[in-house]
Amino acid sequence: MDVIMECKNVNYQYPLTDTKQIENLNLTIERGKVYGVVGENGSGKTTLCAVLRGFAPSFYKGELTGEVLYDGKPLAEYGDEIATKIGFVFQNPFTQISGVKDTVFEEIAYGLENFGVPVEEIEQRVINVMKMTNVESLALKNPFLISGGQMQRVALASVIVLEPDVMIIDEPTSQLDPDGTESVFEIIKAMKEKKKTIILVEHKIDLIAEYADEVIVMKDAKVIACGPTKEILAKTELMQQGVNVPQAAILGQKLKEKGLDIEYIPVTEQDAVKVFENAGKAGK
Amino acid sequence: MDKSYLELVQVQKKNKIEGLYPTTKLWILLFFVIWIFILSTIKFTSIQLPLLNLVWIPVLLFMFYISGDFVKCIKACRVILTIAAIIFLAQAFIIPGDREVFRLAFLKVSDSGLKKGFELSTMVLSIAGAFVWVFQTTDNKEIGQALEESGVNYTVSYIFVSTLNMINVLSKNSQTIMNAQRARGVETQGNMIVRAKAFVPSFIPLVLSAITGAEERVLTLESRGFAVKCQKTRVLKLQKSGLEKPAMIVCVIITVLLIAGRVVLWM
Ligand SMILES: Nc1ncnc2c1ncn2[C@@H]1O[C@H](COP(=O)(O)OP(=O)(O)O)[C@@H](O)[C@H]1O
Ligand SMILES: [Mg+2]
Repeated sequence: MDVIMECKNVNYQYPLTDTKQIENLNLTIERGKVYGVVGENGSGKTTLCAVLRGFAPSFYKGELTGEVLYDGKPLAEYGDEIATKIGFVFQNPFTQISGVKDTVFEEIAYGLENFGVPVEEIEQRVINVMKMTNVESLALKNPFLISGGQMQRVALASVIVLEPDVMIIDEPTSQLDPDGTESVFEIIKAMKEKKKTIILVEHKIDLIAEYADEVIVMKDAKVIACGPTKEILAKTELMQQGVNVPQAAILGQKLKEKGLDIEYIPVTEQDAVKVFENAGKAGK
Repeated sequence: MDKSYLELVQVQKKNKIEGLYPTTKLWILLFFVIWIFILSTIKFTSIQLPLLNLVWIPVLLFMFYISGDFVKCIKACRVILTIAAIIFLAQAFIIPGDREVFRLAFLKVSDSGLKKGFELSTMVLSIAGAFVWVFQTTDNKEIGQALEESGVNYTVSYIFVSTLNMINVLSKNSQTIMNAQRARGVETQGNMIVRAKAFVPSFIPLVLSAITGAEERVLTLESRGFAVKCQKTRVLKLQKSGLEKPAMIVCVIITVLLIAGRVVLWM
């Protein structure tokens, strides 16, 4: 097992609050895997992201106990350099535009400028990332005057260009239309192929079923379930905990209860087709 | 590929005046303000009007013209003209004086009112006009970078540039909003009050979202290495147009001449 990040007995509480927003967290993040984080609103998903990136407590202050490790070392030991190790993408595309650049090219280059990367190298890296995130046609446009979906792609590009090994992405599509959502997931797919470690908070459960290797379920500041996507999302009883379960799993569960003999509860459309087809053949 | 992105994102300049180095333009602005003050001390007519304040209007028009941004600058000046006019009228009608120069129904204009109004509005007009020249012939990002290069704090220049950019973006967005409102049949043309009625309700969400997003923007900057202590590189290359030195020399000469002339007049 190739562990890249680890949380050991982590408890976290925002300032001026009287309950913990992260309680007794023990989590192991393996290199190259995609983790889907699900759970009802207010369950602590965003706070988990902030803890993993170190924003809690470095920015939000508050009280953190336990250890958050990257490559075996506490986050705090990395200082500013952590920005090149762990990338962070937020929900609202608008707040992720720096505000000081008037072309998409320069916007994406901004992080590299701040880290003092030579100009020629910047150009090459930005071009590569623009290709990967499909924003090259916007290179000379003002990043504020493009659509929300395009802005979110630019935000992703601006983080990817720093080549972090871990990407934390918090509800990247909740403010986007279906086209925008699809284009963001194209990028996530491309990063998955590049063996990046991704921690993705997303409400659209079918997308989690399709892209995530592992699922982390949160409720009331605690991780209540964690494991391979196929196992976790097949547990339709999670619905009682306020978690969406894929249509395929619900259908599978219902048919199983009606006596259909299926090998396992499918979580994606593809799986469902396979499972039901086999059950159908066996039934004949 | 014809041009690399590094070339394409550079600011294109129409001529050597527009292309003056940003700091040179700021120096010219400073000199200009000094000249305005020198000439404004010379008074004419029986009520002591600083008539020479009017000289700066053709000078500014000339500067707009030779920079190749005449139309752009004039457009930006419209609002300043309105403000100057308001200042003039307010001062002229309100300030009491010994002698009445002019009367319109119950409104009286006194000599001191006329003098103050003229003095203030022409000053505002010419100084603001000079600012318009600097900001219309220079990109925000150029000014920001020039500030940084001359040692201004990185955070200060960030705030400066992002605020200017935000004003641009908001005004572009507000144009879109206004058009949408008009399409819905809301009255958007007419006097200030009519416009405000159409505008304010749709503008508030924009401003609110800008404020509530502040926390996320701080974290975004943090993620982009804003606070990293190292020698930063810059994609934007500030170019000198070659006229910087001559421009400064001309400015110094004009200043010396004006001061000399002023002193001679005193004697
Ligand atoms: N900056 C903050 N200060 C204090 N409490 C916060 C802050 N952000 C979130 N919380 C609280 O922490 C809990 C978890 O919130 P959050 O992590 O945003 O949930 P989620 O992302 O799952 O919707 C909520 O009860 C919320 O009110
Ligand atoms: Mg959240």
